[in-house]
Amino acid sequence: MKELAQNHPGKIVLAMGNEAIVRGGLEAGIGYFSTYPGTPASEIGEVYVALKDHFPHLYAEFSINEHVAAHGALGASWAGVRAMTSMKHVGMNVAAEVLHFAAYTGINAGLVVVIGSDPGATSSTSEQDDRWYSLHTHLPILEPSTIQEAKEFTKLAFELSERYALPVIVNAPSKLCHNIGSLQLGPLPQNFTGLRGGKFVKNPSRYINLFGGSVANHAKALEQKAKLAADIPSLSLNKIFEGTSTIGFISSSVNFSYLKEALDLLGITDAHILKMGMSHPLNARQLMQFAERCTRIIVVEDLEGFLEFQIKSIMYESHIRIPIDGKNIFAPYGELDVDIIVRALGKTLAREIPHRIQNAYENEKKLARDIPPRQGSFCAGCPHRATAYAIVKATNRNAIFAGDIGCYTLACLPPFRAFDWVTCMNCGVGIGQGMRQVIGDEPMIAYVGDSTFFHSGIPGLINAVSQNANMVVVILDNKCVAMTGHQPSPTTERALDGTRFNPVDVKSLLKSIGIRYVRTVNPFNVSATIASIAEALREREGVRVIISEAECALQTERRKKLQPTSSEHYHQIEPSICQKCNECYIEFGCPAIRRFDEENEFSYYIEESLCTNCGACKDICPNSAISMVEIVRIRSAS
Amino acid sequence: MRYDILICGIGGQGVISLGTILKLAAIRDGIGVVGAERRGGAQREGVVTTNVRYYSRNLETHDAPISGLIPAGGAHLLIAMEPLEALRHIRYLNENTTIIVNNRPLIPVHVRIGEYQYPPLNEIYSRLTHVTSFVYAIDIDAISLNNFHSLRHVNTIALGLAFAAGNIPVSKKALLETIADQFHNSPESISAFEFGCHYLKNIS
Ligand code: SF4
Ligand code: SF4
Repeated sequence: MKELAQNHPGKIVLAMGNEAIVRGGLEAGIGYFSTYPGTPASEIGEVYVALKDHFPHLYAEFSINEHVAAHGALGASWAGVRAMTSMKHVGMNVAAEVLHFAAYTGINAGLVVVIGSDPGATSSTSEQDDRWYSLHTHLPILEPSTIQEAKEFTKLAFELSERYALPVIVNAPSKLCHNIGSLQLGPLPQNFTGLRGGKFVKNPSRYINLFGGSVANHAKALEQKAKLAADIPSLSLNKIFEGTSTIGFISSSVNFSYLKEALDLLGITDAHILKMGMSHPLNARQLMQFAERCTRIIVVEDLEGFLEFQIKSIMYESHIRIPIDGKNIFAPYGELDVDIIVRALGKTLAREIPHRIQNAYENEKKLARDIPPRQGSFCAGCPHRATAYAIVKATNRNAIFAGDIGCYTLACLPPFRAFDWVTCMNCGVGIGQGMRQVIGDEPMIAYVGDSTFFHSGIPGLINAVSQNANMVVVILDNKCVAMTGHQPSPTTERALDGTRFNPVDVKSLLKSIGIRYVRTVNPFNVSATIASIAEALREREGVRVIISEAECALQTERRKKLQPTSSEHYHQIEPSICQKCNECYIEFGCPAIRRFDEENEFSYYIEESLCTNCGACKDICPNSAISMVEIVRIRSAS
Repeated sequence: MRYDILICGIGGQGVISLGTILKLAAIRDGIGVVGAERRGGAQREGVVTTNVRYYSRNLETHDAPISGLIPAGGAHLLIAMEPLEALRHIRYLNENTTIIVNNRPLIPVHVRIGEYQYPPLNEIYSRLTHVTSFVYAIDIDAISLNNFHSLRHVNTIALGLAFAAGNIPVSKKALLETIADQFHNSPESISAFEFGCHYLKNIS
């Protein structure tokens, strides 16, 4: 990662797509960065924050949510400092309000918005195609297709942003954000404008976006976008790969390279391809020039056909009527890959699928049938596992479980299955308190993590309090944004390197918004946690909050590694006492608890190298078969 | 020249870092490399994969990037950190693929709670050998525990095994230098890799 901070132009390093985006910003002289972490874009923030010390003029923060992050970046841009904000695709739903106005008011120094999209929803609750926002926010979108382009496009995005006074979006799917490959570095600028070098110049006719002023700004935004659209052929973002075929292929993002590989596999060597580096706006003249000799166009893109929609509308206006295929061949949901493109094009173009690929699919169908799925699970020693278990025990699954977003979302999976919904941030308390106004008095438990609570949970909770909604809210405070890689949250007390934060006192905050019933529990003390939840449920009046407080196990383990002690402890099952009741292995399901099968016999044991010594299993074993033991490390003989 | 390696396993098994070593070594050797990763959240137990795709830079025209994804039937080498995961990725294999598989089942939650059965190991291997005969199922956990008193070196040993059994185009020198670099010159990591390199010779 340090290489990203070095001024070694021409050097080839190994970088993740997200790191390439970071470098692109650095090469453009970025002075302000803000983000709310979200997979697949989280590493962008981690790297900027980690590199701060190398760039004295760089300000970088983890913000409370995407809305605040986008506002912050806009503020820096208005003050003449190049700024970037990054988020996952659904973060755009939160930031959209800010960014909608940003096109109207315009920017001053370059403002780049990085969106990590997630076709296939590999780490999200949704796979929405964010690009559609640009039809009304008017923000131009760049779609890099390789790690190298991720850097180059990001750098270019700053220039375009300034030239056209519009924020510019760089959209990268998870298959680019997380890919690791070679990256050739460019030069770093010698002078950054950042921190106190910024200066706000008042510009009321733009920044006071009010009444007639906002109408004028609207016109201006459209004019700027039209100017940019007209200049597209000179920007060298879109590329035509001339081929003799009369079928024209249009693609963007990583799908361009998938398409190239698929054509190669199908033996199509004469393809005529337009690679869209900018997927909004489009340039009609360029499109016409490309389509001139085409009798048919096939658009290869993920999700809902954003390019296809624009291409069809331009073709319509230009009175060109040729078949345009896209979402009639490729599903408008899920994630494309080389194999899907090979099979879809093979079918549409009546080309034979290579035998190797055919065989491989047959093998899969024949040989990989009925194999068990493997889903994520709470880590060994995870405090959320203990909380979810306590919720199941305290309610006997007899309650409405208002789910929310965070690591604790895994409570929707077995063995717990104690989640009735999960959609967006703050959906637990938010939906639950509304539902409560129209249903009877069955018990309701809402989950919310520390980071989600501060992101958007507080307004929903205040609403629940003011409307006197009868619900138990469990705040699962693990002291960081664990799911996206342990970024600090407002309750983080100490970073791994010892840096101290000013944690928000959640209890006083709850009191001040009028919640009288607040209890704090240590989830690893499982029986006490069960009792506490049961007691809160019996109350039946207003909002009752239980703060289940224990640091994320992975963070605690890292701290232990940084400061090892001479003796270590872990938990052990005494086979002679264990009744194999399955409580710890199935109902609780800590991955450190394992089953050992011998002939006609089996036993449970705890894998020492995984056990974090949290003690939860000891508390739940009805037969007192589990106890803590000390391991004294014997040094190897060398 | 093209050589495609697929690495699969479970969160926490070092799949991504194994891929990173293979890619860094390529940069040392001046070999072209692209890749694609699938990682879950920070939590454990989910499926993780890495594609490592080598190509020779001089043959490749600069405007013809191959994608980061290995197509169906395209892997030259599969390194599976868990037997069921090897089977799950069978679509990427062909009759010449070399497979290194860590012979240590990790039981998924759905099996734990009794909704699915974990296929018997001999069944898994017979299905794999149905596709390719170059299957090396080795209890790498045991090797690591017996020789290095910890599970920390499982993926470095797997790398050595893969280097010996496959035709990875990067040099051993580049791999050794990368390992030294990545593990702060830990002599144990180097010997774990060497151990893997020599292990197959010793048993055959
Ligand atoms: S809960 Fe106790 S008795 Fe039951 S299986 Fe686990 S160790 Fe054995
Ligand atoms: S103490 Fe028990 S529950 Fe906690 S990590 Fe160890 S085995 Fe798992």
